[in-house]
Amino acid sequence: MSDTKTLTFAFMEPPFESERTVTFFRLLDAALDRGAGVRVFAYEGAVALAFARQQPHGNAVHHRDSEEEDHPLTKDWIAALQEKAGSKGIGFEWINCGLCVDERGVSDVIEGCGRGGPPDLWRYASEAHNTLTIGTR
Amino acid sequence: MSHYLFIQSQDPFTETRTHHQFDLIGQLHDAGHKVAVLLVQNGVTPARRGAKSDLFDDLLRWGVTVRADQFALAQREIDHADLKDQVGVADMDLVIDAMLAGHKVIWH
Repeated sequence: MSDTKTLTFAFMEPPFESERTVTFFRLLDAALDRGAGVRVFAYEGAVALAFARQQPHGNAVHHRDSEEEDHPLTKDWIAALQEKAGSKGIGFEWINCGLCVDERGVSDVIEGCGRGGPPDLWRYASEAHNTLTIGTR
Repeated sequence: MSHYLFIQSQDPFTETRTHHQFDLIGQLHDAGHKVAVLLVQNGVTPARRGAKSDLFDDLLRWGVTVRADQFALAQREIDHADLKDQVGVADMDLVIDAMLAGHKVIWH
Protein backbone atom coordinates (compact mmCIF):
# COMPACT_ATOMS: atom_id res chain seq x y z
CA MET A 1 0.00 0.00 0.00
CA SER A 2 1.38 3.40 -0.97
CA ASP A 3 2.25 5.82 1.81
CA THR A 4 2.16 8.81 -0.54
CA LYS A 5 0.39 11.75 1.01
CA THR A 6 -2.04 13.62 -1.18
CA LEU A 7 -2.48 17.37 -1.09
CA THR A 8 -5.56 19.13 -2.43
CA PHE A 9 -5.54 22.60 -3.95
CA ALA A 10 -8.62 24.67 -4.75
CA PHE A 11 -7.97 27.46 -7.21
CA MET A 12 -10.25 30.00 -8.92
CA GLU A 13 -7.91 32.37 -10.79
CA PRO A 14 -8.30 32.61 -14.59
CA PRO A 15 -5.21 32.17 -16.77
CA PHE A 16 -3.10 35.09 -17.97
CA GLU A 17 -4.41 37.52 -15.34
CA SER A 18 -2.47 37.38 -12.13
CA GLU A 19 0.79 36.46 -10.45
CA ARG A 20 -1.24 34.08 -8.29
CA THR A 21 -1.35 31.66 -11.22
CA VAL A 22 2.43 31.40 -11.29
CA THR A 23 2.59 30.93 -7.52
CA PHE A 24 -0.09 28.25 -7.72
CA PHE A 25 1.79 26.25 -10.36
CA ARG A 26 5.02 26.60 -8.41
CA LEU A 27 3.23 25.09 -5.41
CA LEU A 28 2.03 22.13 -7.46
CA ASP A 29 5.54 21.60 -8.81
CA ALA A 30 7.02 21.77 -5.31
CA ALA A 31 4.48 19.24 -4.07
CA LEU A 32 5.53 16.78 -6.76
CA ASP A 33 9.19 17.44 -5.89
CA ARG A 34 8.36 16.40 -2.32
CA GLY A 35 6.72 13.21 -3.60
CA ALA A 36 3.22 14.25 -2.65
CA GLY A 37 0.22 13.32 -4.74
CA VAL A 38 -1.69 16.33 -6.06
CA ARG A 39 -5.38 16.89 -6.59
CA VAL A 40 -6.68 20.16 -8.01
CA PHE A 41 -10.23 21.42 -7.94
CA ALA A 42 -10.43 24.32 -10.39
CA TYR A 43 -13.46 26.56 -10.26
CA GLU A 44 -14.65 29.91 -11.58
CA GLY A 45 -12.06 31.34 -13.99
CA ALA A 46 -9.49 28.65 -13.22
CA VAL A 47 -11.43 26.14 -15.34
CA ALA A 48 -9.85 27.85 -18.38
CA LEU A 49 -6.36 26.89 -17.22
CA ALA A 50 -6.80 23.52 -18.95
CA PHE A 51 -8.60 24.85 -22.04
CA ALA A 52 -7.17 22.91 -24.99
CA ARG A 53 -7.55 25.68 -27.56
CA GLN A 54 -5.20 28.15 -25.88
CA GLN A 55 -2.84 29.48 -28.54
CA PRO A 56 0.57 31.14 -28.27
CA HIS A 57 1.01 34.44 -30.05
CA GLY A 58 3.72 36.78 -31.20
CA ASN A 59 4.39 40.27 -29.93
CA ALA A 60 4.37 42.90 -32.69
CA VAL A 61 5.54 45.64 -30.32
CA HIS A 62 8.69 43.69 -29.60
CA HIS A 63 8.99 42.45 -33.21
CA ARG A 64 8.83 38.82 -32.12
CA ASP A 65 6.96 36.06 -33.87
CA SER A 66 5.13 33.37 -31.93
CA GLU A 67 8.16 31.12 -31.62
CA GLU A 68 10.44 33.94 -30.43
CA GLU A 69 7.86 35.19 -27.95
CA ASP A 70 7.50 31.66 -26.52
CA HIS A 71 4.30 32.68 -24.78
CA PRO A 72 3.59 30.39 -21.82
CA LEU A 73 0.29 28.53 -21.84
CA THR A 74 -1.23 27.12 -18.68
CA LYS A 75 -2.52 24.04 -20.50
CA ASP A 76 1.13 23.19 -21.24
CA TRP A 77 2.10 23.73 -17.60
CA ILE A 78 -0.62 21.29 -16.54
CA ALA A 79 0.56 18.76 -19.11
CA ALA A 80 4.14 19.15 -17.84
CA LEU A 81 3.00 18.49 -14.27
CA GLN A 82 1.02 15.46 -15.41
CA GLU A 83 4.15 14.13 -17.10
CA LYS A 84 6.31 14.85 -14.06
CA ALA A 85 3.90 13.07 -11.74
CA GLY A 86 3.72 10.13 -14.12
CA SER A 87 7.50 9.83 -14.24
CA LYS A 88 7.56 9.75 -10.44
CA GLY A 89 4.69 7.30 -10.18
CA ILE A 90 2.57 9.61 -8.07
CA GLY A 91 -0.94 10.84 -8.58
CA PHE A 92 -1.94 14.09 -10.27
CA GLU A 93 -5.64 14.70 -10.70
CA TRP A 94 -7.43 17.76 -12.00
CA ILE A 95 -11.17 18.38 -11.88
CA ASN A 96 -12.91 21.42 -13.31
CA CYS A 97 -16.20 22.62 -11.90
CA GLY A 98 -18.69 21.73 -14.64
CA LEU A 99 -21.01 24.66 -14.04
CA CYS A 100 -18.07 27.04 -14.31
CA VAL A 101 -16.95 25.32 -17.52
CA ASP A 102 -20.38 25.65 -19.11
CA GLU A 103 -20.65 29.32 -18.19
CA ARG A 104 -17.39 30.02 -19.98
CA GLY A 105 -17.71 27.58 -22.85
CA VAL A 106 -14.34 25.99 -22.15
CA SER A 107 -15.34 22.33 -22.16
CA ASP A 108 -12.58 21.39 -24.60
CA VAL A 109 -9.83 20.60 -22.08
CA ILE A 110 -6.56 18.73 -22.37
CA GLU A 111 -6.43 15.02 -21.69
CA GLY A 112 -6.31 14.05 -18.04
CA CYS A 113 -8.43 16.91 -16.77
CA GLY A 114 -11.92 15.91 -15.72
CA ARG A 115 -15.26 17.51 -15.09
CA GLY A 116 -17.05 17.48 -11.78
CA GLY A 117 -18.63 19.67 -9.17
CA PRO A 118 -18.51 20.82 -5.55
CA PRO A 119 -18.97 17.24 -4.23
CA ASP A 120 -15.60 16.45 -5.79
CA LEU A 121 -13.99 19.26 -3.83
CA TRP A 122 -15.56 17.83 -0.69
CA ARG A 123 -14.24 14.36 -1.56
CA TYR A 124 -10.80 15.71 -2.43
CA ALA A 125 -10.58 17.70 0.82
CA SER A 126 -11.96 14.85 2.93
CA GLU A 127 -9.46 12.35 1.56
CA ALA A 128 -6.43 14.66 1.44
CA HIS A 129 -3.67 14.90 3.98
CA ASN A 130 -4.12 18.67 3.75
CA THR A 131 -5.90 21.25 1.60
CA LEU A 132 -5.03 24.76 0.50
CA THR A 133 -7.63 27.13 -0.90
CA ILE A 134 -6.31 30.05 -2.91
CA GLY A 135 -8.89 32.78 -3.34
CA THR A 136 -8.70 35.60 -5.84
CA ARG A 137 -8.50 38.21 -3.07
CA MET B 1 -1.24 24.85 20.28
CA SER B 2 -1.60 24.73 16.52
CA HIS B 3 0.88 25.44 13.75
CA TYR B 4 -0.12 28.07 11.21
CA LEU B 5 1.56 29.12 8.01
CA PHE B 6 0.19 32.21 6.30
CA ILE B 7 1.04 32.74 2.66
CA GLN B 8 0.99 36.52 2.46
CA SER B 9 0.52 37.63 -1.15
CA GLN B 10 -0.96 41.05 -0.45
CA ASP B 11 1.05 44.07 0.64
CA PRO B 12 0.08 46.75 3.15
CA PHE B 13 0.78 49.61 0.76
CA THR B 14 -1.98 48.80 -1.75
CA GLU B 15 -4.33 46.42 0.09
CA THR B 16 -6.12 47.82 3.13
CA ARG B 17 -7.31 44.32 4.10
CA THR B 18 -3.76 43.46 5.13
CA HIS B 19 -4.52 45.40 8.32
CA HIS B 20 -6.94 42.65 9.38
CA GLN B 21 -4.67 39.92 8.01
CA PHE B 22 -1.72 41.08 10.09
CA ASP B 23 -4.05 41.47 13.08
CA LEU B 24 -5.11 37.85 12.76
CA ILE B 25 -1.52 36.68 12.51
CA GLY B 26 -0.59 38.69 15.60
CA GLN B 27 -3.58 37.46 17.58
CA LEU B 28 -2.80 33.82 16.86
CA HIS B 29 0.80 34.43 17.90
CA ASP B 30 -0.39 36.13 21.10
CA ALA B 31 -2.66 33.18 21.82
CA GLY B 32 0.36 30.91 21.93
CA HIS B 33 0.12 29.27 18.55
CA LYS B 34 3.18 28.63 16.43
CA VAL B 35 2.76 31.08 13.55
CA ALA B 36 4.92 31.58 10.48
CA VAL B 37 4.49 33.77 7.43
CA LEU B 38 5.77 33.28 3.90
CA LEU B 39 5.74 36.48 1.89
CA VAL B 40 5.03 35.93 -1.81
CA GLN B 41 4.33 38.18 -4.81
CA ASN B 42 3.88 41.81 -3.72
CA GLY B 43 3.69 40.55 -0.16
CA VAL B 44 7.49 40.78 -0.03
CA THR B 45 7.54 44.57 -0.32
CA PRO B 46 7.25 45.47 3.40
CA ALA B 47 10.23 43.19 4.08
CA ARG B 48 12.60 45.55 2.31
CA ARG B 49 14.85 47.40 4.70
CA GLY B 50 13.49 50.92 5.08
CA ALA B 51 9.91 50.01 4.11
CA LYS B 52 7.54 51.61 6.59
CA SER B 53 4.70 49.37 7.74
CA ASP B 54 4.01 49.46 11.47
CA LEU B 55 1.71 46.45 11.31
CA PHE B 56 4.27 44.31 9.51
CA ASP B 57 7.13 45.51 11.70
CA ASP B 58 5.09 44.62 14.79
CA LEU B 59 5.00 41.00 13.63
CA LEU B 60 8.77 41.00 13.37
CA ARG B 61 9.15 42.68 16.75
CA TRP B 62 6.87 40.12 18.37
CA GLY B 63 8.97 37.27 17.03
CA VAL B 64 6.68 35.88 14.35
CA THR B 65 8.74 33.83 11.91
CA VAL B 66 8.75 35.61 8.54
CA ARG B 67 10.28 34.32 5.32
CA ALA B 68 10.24 35.87 1.85
CA ASP B 69 9.90 33.88 -1.37
CA GLN B 70 13.22 34.08 -3.17
CA PHE B 71 11.49 33.97 -6.58
CA ALA B 72 9.35 37.00 -5.71
CA LEU B 73 12.42 38.79 -4.38
CA ALA B 74 14.37 38.09 -7.56
CA GLN B 75 11.50 39.33 -9.75
CA ARG B 76 11.61 42.62 -7.85
CA GLU B 77 15.38 42.83 -7.75
CA ILE B 78 15.42 42.70 -3.97
CA ASP B 79 18.65 41.17 -2.70
CA HIS B 80 18.80 39.19 0.52
CA ALA B 81 20.92 41.98 1.95
CA ASP B 82 18.08 44.42 1.30
CA LEU B 83 15.77 42.60 3.73
CA LYS B 84 15.06 43.57 7.29
CA ASP B 85 17.20 41.62 9.73
CA GLN B 86 14.47 39.30 11.00
CA VAL B 87 13.29 38.22 7.53
CA GLY B 88 14.67 35.00 6.08
CA VAL B 89 14.44 33.61 2.57
CA ALA B 90 12.51 30.51 1.53
CA ASP B 91 10.87 28.77 -1.41
CA MET B 92 7.60 26.97 -2.08
CA ASP B 93 9.02 23.92 -0.30
CA LEU B 94 8.18 25.71 2.95
CA VAL B 95 4.48 25.56 2.10
CA ILE B 96 4.53 21.94 1.01
CA ASP B 97 6.47 20.85 4.09
CA ALA B 98 3.94 22.64 6.30
CA MET B 99 1.02 21.00 4.50
CA LEU B 100 2.63 17.58 4.77
CA ALA B 101 3.24 18.20 8.47
CA GLY B 102 -0.47 18.87 8.92
CA HIS B 103 -0.12 22.53 9.70
CA LYS B 104 -2.94 24.97 8.98
CA VAL B 105 -1.90 26.75 5.78
CA ILE B 106 -3.87 29.87 4.91
CA TRP B 107 -3.67 32.05 1.82
CA HIS B 108 -3.84 35.81 2.31
